[in-house]
Amino acid sequence: MNEAIERRELITLDGRGVLVRGTFHRPRGSSFDSEPGASARNRIGIVFLNSLSLPRAATGDSAVYWADSFADCGYPSFRLDLPGLGDTAGDIPLELLKFINAGGYASIASAKIEELVERFDVSGVVLVGHCAGTVSAIYAAAACAGKCKGLVLLDPYFHLPQAIRPKVRQSLSDWALESRIGGALSNIYDRVRDVLLILRSNAPPQNANFGLLNRWKDVASTGLPILFLKAPARKAPGAKPRVGEFDYLKYVLGLAGRNSKVVVELIEGTDHSFANRLGRAAVGQHIERWLTSYFPLQEEVAVTGLRSKTDNSKNYDEYHMDCLHQ
Amino acid sequence: MQTQIHTDDVLMEHAGYCKVSGAYLYTVLHEVPDPLAQVLLIGPFASERHNSYLPWVRWARYLAGKGIEVLRYDYRGIGESTGVFEEMGFDEWREDVEVLTGWLKSRSPEVPLVLHGLELGALLAGNAFHSGIGSGLLLWSPPANAQQALRSALLRWVGLEHLYKPSEEVRPAAEYIRQLEQGASVEVEGYQWSSSLWRSSFGVNLPASMIDENTAASAYDRAVRIVKLEKQAAPLVRGGFVGYDEAKDFNWLFAPNADWIAAVARRTQGDGK
Repeated sequence: MNEAIERRELITLDGRGVLVRGTFHRPRGSSFDSEPGASARNRIGIVFLNSLSLPRAATGDSAVYWADSFADCGYPSFRLDLPGLGDTAGDIPLELLKFINAGGYASIASAKIEELVERFDVSGVVLVGHCAGTVSAIYAAAACAGKCKGLVLLDPYFHLPQAIRPKVRQSLSDWALESRIGGALSNIYDRVRDVLLILRSNAPPQNANFGLLNRWKDVASTGLPILFLKAPARKAPGAKPRVGEFDYLKYVLGLAGRNSKVVVELIEGTDHSFANRLGRAAVGQHIERWLTSYFPLQEEVAVTGLRSKTDNSKNYDEYHMDCLHQ
Repeated sequence: MQTQIHTDDVLMEHAGYCKVSGAYLYTVLHEVPDPLAQVLLIGPFASERHNSYLPWVRWARYLAGKGIEVLRYDYRGIGESTGVFEEMGFDEWREDVEVLTGWLKSRSPEVPLVLHGLELGALLAGNAFHSGIGSGLLLWSPPANAQQALRSALLRWVGLEHLYKPSEEVRPAAEYIRQLEQGASVEVEGYQWSSSLWRSSFGVNLPASMIDENTAASAYDRAVRIVKLEKQAAPLVRGGFVGYDEAKDFNWLFAPNADWIAAVARRTQGDGK
């Protein structure tokens, strides 16, 4: 059995007595191509964190696809299993979601990022998270500010979700999905919530993850480049939330402030997992374009490869301002 | 949370790639000095891999802790293994099992080898055992055939679609099945199911003699254990609550099955098989 094949290498990060396993996708157009273990010659590294309990390949192996794709463009890419997840040993708490939402992985993730930066000689990392992985990414970015140079957040959330819904509520939701009357009542319920939201002066709800919002503000207001990718959701038009739900996107863009570099993109034709072909390809292209914009590669061969695959017509600075004025 | 790990145990886990025709299989060997038995873990199909991954890895570690060496892997074209999923089929996945059992056997020819499959993996394990591989066979929730496994994965995925998509965008399972039967491919949880995969699934059956343990034991003269997993075994099988079930105690399942494997190994070595 080999630990390295063609463009992939299985890695372990064993600093601080914690052994984290992962996969390194060697970038094209560098000594990495032919030399396993060579340094990244000071490029930015792309690091994928686990989404909740998923192994590092993610749903439909989408993270493998993206990591291969960014490595093809010249960015060394890493997919890590945090302790207790995937192939990395470690105990996980009984309530994993609560642990993640409280930033439980921040300390170890930031330590491993520092270790990775040193070992692979990258100039810093862009952290990529999906769903619960975005929570870990934001907390980790706040904990290792110097090493984290950017964030890519796929369908982030800023509240404390109730993972186990009461049975009665679940049955009501199922009924609303399946029946016409249930659907109509669901719409009325949304309207009532909308009125309550207005009465509350659009303040964040009680179940907002205030700890995470604070970290977000710390990170985003520094001008850290952040790409925010959203999938369409049920009863939610475009990037807007469902009627009656608090508009977290608008709120966090406000928290980020005028100096921020937050870019928001809606990925059509996919779902929350982004794992279908359309979603995977669109996410890949958006991230590649964003990387070219904020973290251009110096090597001509890699840049040429990247440009041939992506559309560089959009100016992110303008788009960012559009978002802020919403 | 305990992130400090038992270094010696973890260092005995070796991840690597095994070359097969046109691809590399991702494997993790849970090495044990002087193992009592060896087990090849053959996991569930594609989209089911991700949900069951944590308890599946814990099961491998549990067995290693009991002196049983384990090799687990990802099917060709899935997870960490390379290869294009839509170009893969049951022939390739059967070959994966043959290659890896051969590799395990070459490591310690005298140590009894047990095949253990979960869901679709149980079919692959059952067929390999039927062809004469292994001293024992452990099946968790084997479907009657691959078609049944694919159909239930498709139904679950359509159910999930209801949660995330507007009702008018969600199509019934019957429509996807019609597409597959008419020669088109369908994307299920990020995997492109080809029509040929669907068609060939009708021909991949659990051997008839594996209808129950007693029939199997008399047919093969080798130990066979069949366990149907209920919802309490989630996330090894679908069900339960994501974010809350990952750390739950599986001793009720692991202990008797590990004991059974150990007993098979002792009996096999006693018989000189």
